[in-house]
Amino acid sequence: MYKAKLFFWLFLGVGLAVPAFARDIKNNNCIVCHADQWEQMKESIHARHQITCDRCHGGDPAQEDMEAAKAPGTDFVAVPDKKQTAERCGQCHADVEAMNFYGLPTDQLARYKTSAHGKLLFDHGDEHGAVCTDCHGYHDVVAVMDPQSPVYPLNLPATCNRCHGDKAVMAPYKHPTDIFEKYKKSVHGVALFEKGDLSVANCVKCHGSHGAMPPGVKEIGATCGKCHINEKRYFLEGPHAQASQDGYFSECASCHDYHDIQRPDTNLYNTACLNCHSEGDEAFKRGQKIKEMIDSSSRALSDAGELVKQAAMEGIFVDEETAALEEARTNVLEMAPRQHSLSVENIGELYGKATALTQEIQNGVRTKRQSLRWRKIALVPLWIFIFLMVVVLRKKYDQLKGKEHE
Amino acid sequence: MRNYIKQWFARRFDLEGMNKPLQKQLHKPLPKHINWFHTLGSMSLFLFISQVLTGILLLVYYRPTVGEAFESVKFIMTTAHAGWLYRQIHAWGANLMILVVFLHMLRTFLTGSFKRPRELTWVVGVVIFILTLVFGFTGYLLPWNQLAYWATTVGTEIAGAVPWIGEFTKTLLRGGSGVGGETLSRFFVIHVIVLPWLLFFIVAIHLFLVRYQGIATMDPVGEEKQPKEGEGIPFFPHHVLKEGIVFFILLGILITLSVVAPFELGEKADPLTTPYAIKPEWYFLPMYQVIKYFPKLIGIFVTGLAPLLLLIWPFLDKSREKRLLRRPISMTIGILTIFSLLFFGMLGHLSETKTKFFGKTYEFDIYGRPHAVAAEVPARSP
Repeated sequence: MYKAKLFFWLFLGVGLAVPAFARDIKNNNCIVCHADQWEQMKESIHARHQITCDRCHGGDPAQEDMEAAKAPGTDFVAVPDKKQTAERCGQCHADVEAMNFYGLPTDQLARYKTSAHGKLLFDHGDEHGAVCTDCHGYHDVVAVMDPQSPVYPLNLPATCNRCHGDKAVMAPYKHPTDIFEKYKKSVHGVALFEKGDLSVANCVKCHGSHGAMPPGVKEIGATCGKCHINEKRYFLEGPHAQASQDGYFSECASCHDYHDIQRPDTNLYNTACLNCHSEGDEAFKRGQKIKEMIDSSSRALSDAGELVKQAAMEGIFVDEETAALEEARTNVLEMAPRQHSLSVENIGELYGKATALTQEIQNGVRTKRQSLRWRKIALVPLWIFIFLMVVVLRKKYDQLKGKEHE
Repeated sequence: MRNYIKQWFARRFDLEGMNKPLQKQLHKPLPKHINWFHTLGSMSLFLFISQVLTGILLLVYYRPTVGEAFESVKFIMTTAHAGWLYRQIHAWGANLMILVVFLHMLRTFLTGSFKRPRELTWVVGVVIFILTLVFGFTGYLLPWNQLAYWATTVGTEIAGAVPWIGEFTKTLLRGGSGVGGETLSRFFVIHVIVLPWLLFFIVAIHLFLVRYQGIATMDPVGEEKQPKEGEGIPFFPHHVLKEGIVFFILLGILITLSVVAPFELGEKADPLTTPYAIKPEWYFLPMYQVIKYFPKLIGIFVTGLAPLLLLIWPFLDKSREKRLLRRPISMTIGILTIFSLLFFGMLGHLSETKTKFFGKTYEFDIYGRPHAVAAEVPARSP
């Protein structure tokens, strides 16, 4: 029992322990006058971890006298400018010892200084460069994965858009301001906003967060390839890989575009290819051949799926056909990444398998339906036999009755 | 050759002596009023034999375990040679057997054949009917599909609500607290070993009593005159020919139903997914529906009265008259019973369903009460 109690108090002690730089909120006299700011801050992640005003604004919160609290030598800053903001956040967030307790990375400040935003601020002294508080908020800052956070995946595109959608802010940099609108309608935007898929590509997934930089023509493939691994792999086997290396071709964006990427279908072979190729050339024809195989397999798969569904509704056992359908579906799905190799042989292999499987499904269902039909047809001779037997027996019965009457 | 075999047996057995009672039974005259409805008893026997034969075929592939039962029935229906046919004949045969045994009982009731001195034949007949229902209940679980699993769960739960012996009976039937592998084993043993032999001996007693006491005439009790030799209708060949005709028609109906309206296997039993509106097979529906209108114990008491009344009916209705029109009370009770069975069966069938009548959609609650459903407004296209 004694050991259990000791363990409990030790556990509680470790659990409630706060790092050395955290201060007791009760001794924070700033909030006596700045109650409104405290109101904003008290639910923040910093307040919850007892990080008080002085960590960002300096001063001595232990002093009850306002003048003494802000006295020279206390490092007091009423409103830190953007550079000071980055540095003051970095005091803790770039401190390995301090962040170790929370398991947070400490390279944000270093990365920030290499980013387009950081360079604008630190190298060019341009206050338009977004700093920590522009994205994360300040007094009411919460954890990144808190749905209230402006950098929570669902909120992030709108947060970036606060500056990147502002024509006045973007004008000096000649940046387009319709990116957010385009993104919203893109396959990624629809997945994020309509389906709530938080894993989908958003601004920082491609551009980076603290080290945000627009990926160049050559890097865009690496960016997309972080998620679209198989597409990237097959692309590198294809004829466009070299063109991409040589800088003539932007790996993914040349066909799929970038911010307004739409769910791709095989119609891209009719449009995107013509950006560089002409209708008659060999490469275009190869694309058309691949398109034909994919379209044909998809149609066959859809027809086979309907057939299996219909057969199941008719009461036919379709276990084997369902298994074949799944296998065919796997082959057709595999075509999507593999088409990036632009190899007719490569797609042809999957096309052959999918076609054979869908054919097998059709034959299977046809045979089973035929068998059911034959069972029904067999009822005709059965009833002819029964009818004959009934007539014969009845006749015999009538004969016997007739004899009795005689 | 035939003579040789006959002589071989004649040297060892008293064939003449054995043949005499056999010939007597075969040519025994039946009363004049014997009609087509008197073939229902033989048809019940034919269906029982059909169930035994198709059951033996099913046993070749059937595996009575939770892991294999469903798959083995699926195998029978899809892969085993003509498996689909004997499985369907077995399933349809079970339903038809219950119907034919019931109709046979109804005929006996309407013609007053249960009256003295044939009370015991009736009682044994009622036991046969109850055993046929138990056959249906135990066999229903064996494919181990969702409907079977949940119908058995509800069925055994009802058995568990019987005062004093309920909990014991439920555990005995289930072999544990829930329906599972033990239940399947028990139902399997009851279905393929206990019930067939039990029914065989009880049917033998029933047939013995029928042949021993002869078919009832329409004469009042106590004044019955059994037809003498040369009178009435000979059992063979006259009545057997009639039975042959009905047999062929019944065989045709059985096979046709098996082909045209096969029983689906459905989904494998899943104890974690309770389907909506669990219902027993049609032959238990009226009783199942009646139970809903009463508090638990009263419901069980009321539905338990039905088989009890059937069993003791010959001892309650002691009037001498057999002709239906001269038995107004019996006729009224009979008609009311048939109508209530049909009425509650229909309510049970409709309960917890949505059905369209004359263009209006009605939702039937568990008591079978219809509630008009407002027409669904189609979603507006964007």
